[in-house]
Amino acid sequence: MGAWEGLLYGLGVALQPEIMLYCLIGVVLGTLIGVLPGIGAMAAISLLLPITYYITPEAALVMLAGVYYGSQYGGAVSSILLRLPGTPQSAVTALDGYPMARQGRAGQALFASMVSSFVGSILGIVVLVLLASWLGRVATQFGAADYAAMMILGLVAASTIGGGAPAKSFAMVVLGLILGTVGTDVNSGVQRLTFGSTQLMDGVNLVALAMGLFGVAEVIGNIRGSDHGSPDKVTFAQMKPTRDDSRRMVMPTLRGSALGSFFGSLPGTGSTISSFLSYAMERRVARQPERFGSGAIEGVAGPEAANNAAAITAFVPTLTLGIPGDPIMALMLGALVIHGVQPGPMMLEARPEMFWGLVVSFGIGNLLLLILNLPLIGIWVSLLRLPFRWLYPAIIVFVCLGVYSVRGSSFDVLAVAMIGAVGYLLALARFSPALLLLGFVLGPLIETNLRRAMLISRGDPMVFLERPIAAGFILASAALILWSVWGAVRSARRRSATR
Amino acid sequence: MGNAEMSHFTRRGAIAAFAAAATLAGAAYAQDADWPTGPVRVVVGFPAGSSPDTLTRLITEPLAKRLGQPVVVDNKPGAGGVIGVQTMLMGNDGHTFATTINGPLTTSQRLVPNLSYDPATDVAPVALIATSPLVLAVNAESPAQDLAGFVDLAKAEPGALTYGSVGQGSGAHLTAELFASAAGVEMLHIPFTSYAEVTTSIVGGEIDSGFMAPSAALPQVQAGALRLLGVTSPEPSAVAPDVPVMAGQAGLPADFQAELWNAFIAPAGTDPAIIERLNTEINEILQDPAVTEPLLAMGWQAQPGTPEELATRIEADTAMWGGVIDRVGAAAN
Repeated sequence: MGAWEGLLYGLGVALQPEIMLYCLIGVVLGTLIGVLPGIGAMAAISLLLPITYYITPEAALVMLAGVYYGSQYGGAVSSILLRLPGTPQSAVTALDGYPMARQGRAGQALFASMVSSFVGSILGIVVLVLLASWLGRVATQFGAADYAAMMILGLVAASTIGGGAPAKSFAMVVLGLILGTVGTDVNSGVQRLTFGSTQLMDGVNLVALAMGLFGVAEVIGNIRGSDHGSPDKVTFAQMKPTRDDSRRMVMPTLRGSALGSFFGSLPGTGSTISSFLSYAMERRVARQPERFGSGAIEGVAGPEAANNAAAITAFVPTLTLGIPGDPIMALMLGALVIHGVQPGPMMLEARPEMFWGLVVSFGIGNLLLLILNLPLIGIWVSLLRLPFRWLYPAIIVFVCLGVYSVRGSSFDVLAVAMIGAVGYLLALARFSPALLLLGFVLGPLIETNLRRAMLISRGDPMVFLERPIAAGFILASAALILWSVWGAVRSARRRSATR
Repeated sequence: MGNAEMSHFTRRGAIAAFAAAATLAGAAYAQDADWPTGPVRVVVGFPAGSSPDTLTRLITEPLAKRLGQPVVVDNKPGAGGVIGVQTMLMGNDGHTFATTINGPLTTSQRLVPNLSYDPATDVAPVALIATSPLVLAVNAESPAQDLAGFVDLAKAEPGALTYGSVGQGSGAHLTAELFASAAGVEMLHIPFTSYAEVTTSIVGGEIDSGFMAPSAALPQVQAGALRLLGVTSPEPSAVAPDVPVMAGQAGLPADFQAELWNAFIAPAGTDPAIIERLNTEINEILQDPAVTEPLLAMGWQAQPGTPEELATRIEADTAMWGGVIDRVGAAAN
């Protein structure tokens, strides 16, 4: 079935009132759990699973998928308004979204995030329809060496996102890498930095780390009374981005969508990495990178487009290979099995109504999200007018609930409190928490893939140069390092010349 | 950490069957003395929606009807199921139990440094629930057409053939090493963290083989991407009936077998009458097609049995896997 026939066929499935209803339920729930810090798509989908046994598999999949991509929209809201990432992938949105909100531009920031999320999703859908089977084949050709090289490029590219002193940035990345090694070593089974605690055997909880470093640290910081003035009620006119904003948003949104579409389709990389890399890319290509971190709208548009595109193309390996790229996809495949649908490479042929119905429902769902969310912006912004003595305790309660919901662990709740305290100290000393998170997310991927590649090549490091994909990434990393060093030397010379 | 394969997504069954099971259970069972006097808690060491979780809920739903008390499933995931057992032992109140995969009772004492419990003395077996074999998968274009061909290939260049697993000390890792030593071959272990990664790597031709959960491998076989060379159960498995049994083939001993399992357990010192009651109820539940069919769809073969049989199985598996772990040095620290 060609793409057009498929889409028409899918329209017939997705436009059924029942499917539309479940799509709506899914995206509304998704937005809500995205806004609530900590409670992620994973927890929501596992709670919804039992309900799906009573509806058709198409409706179930459409609803669960709606929760998944809907949460990407919602996550940006609390990131921008409160510097509280609703989901780990929206943490990077806080870097510029929150400064925008503090400058009274919360409306514009939210508008930018919604629109770029929508565009990212739509482009993701286009990629899914046109390139799914090709991307699926590419994914199986990506070996351990290629993953390692690609993540090294990501780390090199993104290690400047925090701005500030290079030594401080470096320290944060390294701290993140160290935290990423906590837990059972995949290759040897040895416990690293667990201090004998079984709670740490699976590593530090990503959600606890993101909530603590950003949200809880921010709440502690505001207790000191640096109370920002309550914003006035925003009118729709004030939400509209200025012409300058719109112009600045276009390219970051497109680049973010492309980046997100690519990373989403590779199993195991995920949308958190794509939003970080999109932010890094925007900061790299910007004419005035110093604007980043103090309210650059590009820093909101790019990552939001990227994580939404990634959320859509994450279905590529799932639908074309029957291989789930992340634990949430695994849950969704599980939902299909319960319905007697065998996910796998044959699904597209055996159950075309599932594939095309789902694809079309992505379009409908994202349209619903845009229609729902734009009018909601005013309501979200008015949240900021709540007195902090009510807002902050409520935030802390939600953070604790959210972190607990990940795996029912009170250890993680204590961890988020401690991470929050550390995050506050880091913020005081002007260290970037985003870089710590970056090292934490990329570190384990680099390490396991690097060691796996070396194991498979019997210890021959040439594998990184012999495989064309890996070699390309390694060369790009080297070029980027040289470029950065050259840039630093040149600006140092210029400074000494003017002195 | 091992046994991630047990939480693999494809092993999940129709919970719609709950309703049917509940009505079949009937109210004929006479209530024992007073127990249970309140809600019963069953701890699961894996997240909601995972295979061990779905399996547990298939059992607890009819169990609640039979006990006349709510049965609450409490998910405490982490450390390959060890946190679930630890949580059960902390709540030793006559109403707290757990289901667990084989790892935390048979291999964790060697793989987890300073494990806080001793499976032999702190845990009371109640009932085996279900077992699952593993299948040996290779790329569909592999020169190994059958198990004998695979063994020849491995013998041709010792240590050259690679296999993937879902982690150090996982069932997939230990089964492969058990096979290697039984067949007299040497293979290189490449640890991954999930069957999704192992599948991608075999399909992409990066690694040669892997012992996998049948449910993870079968869809790829239908698509012509993987070939299955054998199954580790003593008889052909209902999950993958076409796959030949490995025992007795290609120089393997006739008693070669390796099975993963899931069991219902209690803290040691639990009243034997309670264990007896639970065992009876669970074994009756495991006769019901409304329970066994969804289990099979997830890759689990229901296996009723006595607490003593479960104790024997734990002991035998601890010795068998312990031997493998000692041989390959998979232990942490």
